[in-house]
Amino acid sequence: MDMRTDKINAEERERAFVSLRKPEVVEKQKLHVRYHVEDYDAEDRPRAFLKAFAAILKHSSYRMALDHFIRMSAKCSRCATTCQVYQATGDLKDIPCFRSELLLSVYRRHFTMGGLLRGRALGTGHLTDDKIQEMAESFWNCTACRRCSMECPSGIDHGLIAHLGRYILSEIGIAPRALVVSTREQLEGKSGNTSAIPVPALIDTLEFLEEDMLEEKNVAIKFPMDVEGANYVFFPAVSDFLMEAETLMGIAAVFAATGDSWTTGTGYFDGINYGLFYSDRILERVVKKIDAETRRLKGKQVLIGECGHASRSAKYFLPTYCGGKDAFPVINIMEYTYEVWKEGRLVLDPTIVTQKVAYHDPCNIARQRWIIDQPRELLRAFCPNYVEMTPMGENNICCGGGGGTVSIDEIRPYRTTIGGKLKADQIRKSGCEILVAPCANCKKQLRELVEDQKIDCEVVGLHDLIYKAIVFDDSLKVKEEQPQEVAEEE
Amino acid sequence: MEALLDFARGPLFRLSFAVMALGLLRILIFDLYGAIEAYRRAGDKTMPWNLVMRRSAQWLLPINRAFKNRPAYSLISILFHIGLLLVPIFLFAHIQLWHKVIGISWLSLPKVVADYLTILTIICAVALLIGRVFNHSSSFLSRKQDYLWPLLLSMPFATGYICANVGVSPSVYQLSMMAHVLSGEIAFILIPFTKIAHCVLMPFSQLISTLAWKFPPGTDEDVATTMNKKGAPV
Repeated sequence: MDMRTDKINAEERERAFVSLRKPEVVEKQKLHVRYHVEDYDAEDRPRAFLKAFAAILKHSSYRMALDHFIRMSAKCSRCATTCQVYQATGDLKDIPCFRSELLLSVYRRHFTMGGLLRGRALGTGHLTDDKIQEMAESFWNCTACRRCSMECPSGIDHGLIAHLGRYILSEIGIAPRALVVSTREQLEGKSGNTSAIPVPALIDTLEFLEEDMLEEKNVAIKFPMDVEGANYVFFPAVSDFLMEAETLMGIAAVFAATGDSWTTGTGYFDGINYGLFYSDRILERVVKKIDAETRRLKGKQVLIGECGHASRSAKYFLPTYCGGKDAFPVINIMEYTYEVWKEGRLVLDPTIVTQKVAYHDPCNIARQRWIIDQPRELLRAFCPNYVEMTPMGENNICCGGGGGTVSIDEIRPYRTTIGGKLKADQIRKSGCEILVAPCANCKKQLRELVEDQKIDCEVVGLHDLIYKAIVFDDSLKVKEEQPQEVAEEE
Repeated sequence: MEALLDFARGPLFRLSFAVMALGLLRILIFDLYGAIEAYRRAGDKTMPWNLVMRRSAQWLLPINRAFKNRPAYSLISILFHIGLLLVPIFLFAHIQLWHKVIGISWLSLPKVVADYLTILTIICAVALLIGRVFNHSSSFLSRKQDYLWPLLLSMPFATGYICANVGVSPSVYQLSMMAHVLSGEIAFILIPFTKIAHCVLMPFSQLISTLAWKFPPGTDEDVATTMNKKGAPV
C-alpha cells in the first residue's frame, strides 16, 4: 500500500493556495485564508475562542476524547504515510498529527490543571491570534476523510479533532461563507433547502423527469410526493434535483420495478447537512428537520440518496438527536437496491454498460465499513468490465473534496491540485472510462478533478448505470399508444 | 555507597513504584470514568462493538496492520516493546527481589534469552532514536520527551546488562547498579505524566474514539444558552 507519489511543484503549490479574497477584507477580518468568511467580530479572538471552547466542552463529551488523546499522542508520524494531503504537498504542517496538535496544545494549556499551572508559572503558551490564524487555515486543508485514524497506533481520531476545531472556529464566526449561506437558507430561508429550490420548481423538475422516463423506458415511473405512510421517505442531496437527474431517475426506476412505497416530502426534502462539516449545533438542527418530516408523513424509514455525508449524518446522528434506538431507521439507497436485487426483484442487463467501470468509496460510507461490498457486487453483476482501484473499502482514498470543501468553490484549485492529487493518480492508473461515485460531494469533486487533471473519464452515480441497465417486467410496460395519451392528460 | 544503594533499592523504589502505580490508576480511572459518562449522556447508545474490538486487537497485536506502512519502523518498534515488557518482569533477579519482599514468584526467562533480549531492546531503542532524528516527518513532530524516552529506557537495560554479565570490580558494579536502579525509578515516576501512559490507556483508544462521535442530544440549545446566542440567526 505504498502511496508515495511525486510531490507537487512550487508553481502548482502557488496555484493551489491562491487567495481570491481582497486585501482589505483580509486586513479587516485578520484572516489570511483561501475561503470567504462573512464579517465577524475580529477583536480579541483568543478570548472568544476560549469562551466558545469552554462552552462546547461543558455541554459535550469532547473532554473525554481530548484527555485521552493528549496522553496518548506518541508523535510517531505514521499518519503522515496515509494522509493524501501531506503526500501531495510534502508540507510538514499538513501531517494530521501536527494539525491536531494545534488544538490539543490549546486544550492542554487552557483546560488542564497541569497546563494552567505551567502556563501561569512560566507565563507562556497562551493562545494567540497567530495560532487561531493557523488553525483557520489548517483545519480546512483537511478533507476530514479520517483515513489517518485508521493508521494511528494510538487510535487518535484526527478527523474528530479537526471537526471540533472547525466547530469552535465557527462559533466565533470563522466558517466558510459557502457553507453558512446554504445552511441559513436551509434552516431559515423560504425554500428550506441548501440549493434554494422552491417546491413548485421541484415538482416541475420531477414531472419533467417522469415524462423523460416514460419516453425512454416505456414505463410509467413516478416520483411520489407527500404520500402518507410510505415505507421510505426519500432525502437525496438536494443538489441532485438540479444536477444528477440520471441518478434520481435510476432510483425511481428501481422503485418502479419493485413496487415498494416511497415518497419525497414537499415539507422538507434535503439530505445535505453541512453541520457535519463545521458545527454540531447546525448538525443537530438539520437532523431534527429530517426527523420532523418523516414524522409528518408517517413514514417508516428514512431513505438517503447517493450522498456520503448525508448518509452518515442521518444514520449516525438521527439516533443521537432524535430518540436513540426509537429513532427512524436510516438506509442508503445502495443498500435498498442491493437487497431487492439479491431478492431477485431487480433485473439488470449485463450487455448495456460495456465500458471499463471502477467504483469510488465515499469516505463517510466506507470508513466505518458500512457499505463496501454491496455496490461492488451490483456492478460486477451487470458491468462485465469492472475494475478495482486499490486501496479500496475502508482504506479508500478520499476524492479530495471531503469535509465540505467541495462546496467551497473558491478553493477548487487547492482541491484539484492537492486534495485530490492521489485520487487522480489512482483513477489514471485504473484506466477506467466510467467512475462510479455514489455521493454528491464526490461526484462534483471528481468531475472537477478529472477536468483539471485532464483525465478522460466520466463520473456518474451507481443508479445512473442501473437506470441504463434496468430491465422492466412486461406487465409494467405502457402500450404503444398510451404514452401520448398520458402526455395529453398532463 | 552501600547505604545509598540500599536507600535507592528500598524506600526510593517503593516510592517511585507507588507513584507509577497510583498515577496510572488515576489516569485509567479518569479515562474510564469519562468514557462511562460520555456513554451515559450519548443520545445514541448503540456501539459497533465488533469493529471496536477488531481495531483494538489490530493495534495491540499489530502483526498485519503495522507492516503495511513503514515496515522497518514497525518491526523495530514491536521488538522494542517485547523486550521492554518481558525483560523487567521475567528476569530471574527481579523475580527473586519480589519473592523476598512480597513472597510471590513466577516463571523466569532463561538467562541467555534475557541477555539477548536486553541487547535487542537497547539496539531497538537506539534505532528508534536514529529513525526519529533522520525521518523528515518524525523529527518535525517530535518533542523533547520523544528523544529522551529511548535514551532513558535504554539506561536500565544497559546498566543491568553490565551488572549481570561483566566481571568488573565491586565499585564499578555498585556504580552501574546505582545507575540501573535510579534510571528505572526516574522512568517509573515519569510514566504516568508522559506519553508512556499509553501502557494502560492503549486498549481503550478505539473505544474512546468511537464513543467521542456519540454526541449528547441538546448541545445546540445548551451551547447557545451558554454562549448567549439563543435564538440568534445562523
